[in-house]
Amino acid sequence: MSIDKEREPDMRLRNTLFVLALALCAMTAGAISAQSDIVIDFYFPSATANDAEGIFQRYADQFQEENPGITINPVFSGSYTDTRNTILTELQGGGAGPDVAVMLSIDLYSFAEEGYIVPAQTFIDAMDDGQAYVDDFFPALMANGMDEMGNVWSIPFQRSTPILYYNADLLAEAGYDSPPTNNAELVEIAQALTTDDRDGLLVPVAGGFPIWMYQSFAIAYGRNIVGDDPTEVYFNTPEAVEAVEFVRSLGTDLGVGPAGGAAWGDTPVAFLAEQAAMIYHTTGNLTRILSGADFEVGVWYLPSGPAGEDGAGYGAPTGGGNLYIFDDGSKSDAELDAIWKWVMFLSSPEIQSDWGATTGYIASNAAAWETEPLASLALEHPQYGVARDQLQHAGKEFSSYATITIQGIINGTLESILTGEAEDAQAAMDAAQAQIDGILADYR
Amino acid sequence: MSHFYVIRRRGADALKMAIAIFFLLPLFFTALVSLRPETEPVTNGNIFFGSEITLENYRRAFIIAPWGLHYLNSIIFVGGTLLVQLFTVTFAAYAFARMRFFGRNFLLMAILLQLMIPSGVLLVQNFRTINILGLFDTRIALMIPYWGSAFGVLLLRQTFREIPIELEEAARIDGANLLQVVRHVYVMNAIPAYLAFALVSVSSHWNEFLWPFIITRSEEIRPLTVGLNKLIKTTDQGAFYGQLMAGTLIVIAPLVILFIVFQRQFVESFARSGIR
Repeated sequence: MSIDKEREPDMRLRNTLFVLALALCAMTAGAISAQSDIVIDFYFPSATANDAEGIFQRYADQFQEENPGITINPVFSGSYTDTRNTILTELQGGGAGPDVAVMLSIDLYSFAEEGYIVPAQTFIDAMDDGQAYVDDFFPALMANGMDEMGNVWSIPFQRSTPILYYNADLLAEAGYDSPPTNNAELVEIAQALTTDDRDGLLVPVAGGFPIWMYQSFAIAYGRNIVGDDPTEVYFNTPEAVEAVEFVRSLGTDLGVGPAGGAAWGDTPVAFLAEQAAMIYHTTGNLTRILSGADFEVGVWYLPSGPAGEDGAGYGAPTGGGNLYIFDDGSKSDAELDAIWKWVMFLSSPEIQSDWGATTGYIASNAAAWETEPLASLALEHPQYGVARDQLQHAGKEFSSYATITIQGIINGTLESILTGEAEDAQAAMDAAQAQIDGILADYR
Repeated sequence: MSHFYVIRRRGADALKMAIAIFFLLPLFFTALVSLRPETEPVTNGNIFFGSEITLENYRRAFIIAPWGLHYLNSIIFVGGTLLVQLFTVTFAAYAFARMRFFGRNFLLMAILLQLMIPSGVLLVQNFRTINILGLFDTRIALMIPYWGSAFGVLLLRQTFREIPIELEEAARIDGANLLQVVRHVYVMNAIPAYLAFALVSVSSHWNEFLWPFIITRSEEIRPLTVGLNKLIKTTDQGAFYGQLMAGTLIVIAPLVILFIVFQRQFVESFARSGIR
């Protein structure tokens, strides 16, 4: 290299560079520190209005007191999507990743496929009363955490399910003493309560992610779009088609809500402002709605389907996050032991009761509902118990191999049907099913 | 002054005013929503204050994230990045503007190319590098990828080339060495370009979310955008728009104030450095 004026850069430049390099080295060295305890990195997404960090720090403190020698390091990891991307980036980039993370219950296959997570079953088998531990959880909440062989991979933690919220005062005014039990009654009440500036019923299927709410209708019509086998999807069955046509008609022929459905975030706000008489929304919102409403809030199972033999037509998916255990085979027995202790602690009746009462998530095992503070809260507000009891009508949330891709296809198809862009629902769903089968063929 | 001229000027003023209002609207509504009670959504015919003006959203936003800490972290991140950038882009720009060496054009093309690659594509590779260096979850890791700036190099190279070479020659004859030439001849004559670059650098890193989020785990070093992310809770509970808007204003306040105070300088520097 030669300079225009044929002069060497002088010594001062070299000295400056040398000092800069030294400073860099010094800063690097400062970043490396020693740890003697077992440290568990615990990633959690924020999906609640409460100060989740404060709550997890409280749990960590309590756990550390009971288990000296183990340090819990709770790390806020954004939304569920952020959490997933952060962890994938970290692991693909050769980083250590978390030890335990709360991720969507449907993330199972994508992480298991890559070999990033280990099944909880290994730890359960090593327990004295492992089966009793598993049996304590509500079966509907375990469905997404198990593979087709019945092995448990992840443990329910912050689980939710959509439920029907209704303005009991408005229903009473119109002469209805009890909530609808099937979709004919649902439509009847919604039509009676629809006025110029109030929607009778809002189902949040607009905005790119209709699949969750749609599953309620598919299940209530008699056929979930997903079964035990992660290589099978049932998206073009007569039930699946009828279900989506019913949801579409809510905004068109039946005229009880906006065409194309409501937006997720706006729905509870509209309900609280009495601009909607009934809404479909997650139990995760129960605490917010109960504390924010100036009227009597009723909560009931989702009456999404036609009346069955008993006159009811209920159905709902489950949702929310599970606890996943990360290990690439390099962790010691002592570390794995500590990790399992933390998972057991978070899923214990004591913590589930506290977590359920503070956030509104469904405490995942029966014993938690007998434990304070949730026991007295459920007594005071029977609405909390409704969400739990609906679990008997609940089905598995959509999950398969290539979950993200296939979920994207289903969402896109549903959206085009609901907005009226695709008029022929059957044709659109047949096309989607063919595309999905093509993707899943590789896994069969 | 003719009557026609006055009308034309008034018309131009009105047009400018309309454009200004149009661009201020989002900011205005952000402020408005942040002051509305959470339970009163914006609806047809009811877009202003609601039943009362409340600071409740701000109070809740302050409970959810430690904004003071995040502010400090953002300032260190943005300031530390800019400081190093000023050195690297100055010397790189000088080299490309005034030195002749093997592969100069090729290197310049490579730097240009880097402008066209979205940073998200490099996420995993950058993470790998940081991890190998042992810098994961440190302040340095936040800044390192930005210590070189293709935009800064190109902007300053253009500016330096427009400075007459005679100035450098005169300085050399007077006995100035390389560092003195760069400092007194080039840097001093390119202040507006530096200002423009600083503005772009500060505002883009202030708003940077993904990289700081992925590369840090400790609350103690995470910047404002990560704090703001805690207020986005659309996943399970629907949107808390009031809180979110309050948080947004907390995050953008310094930039807005900075811009209002230094408005004239900014506009002039942009005009002079040829970015429009």
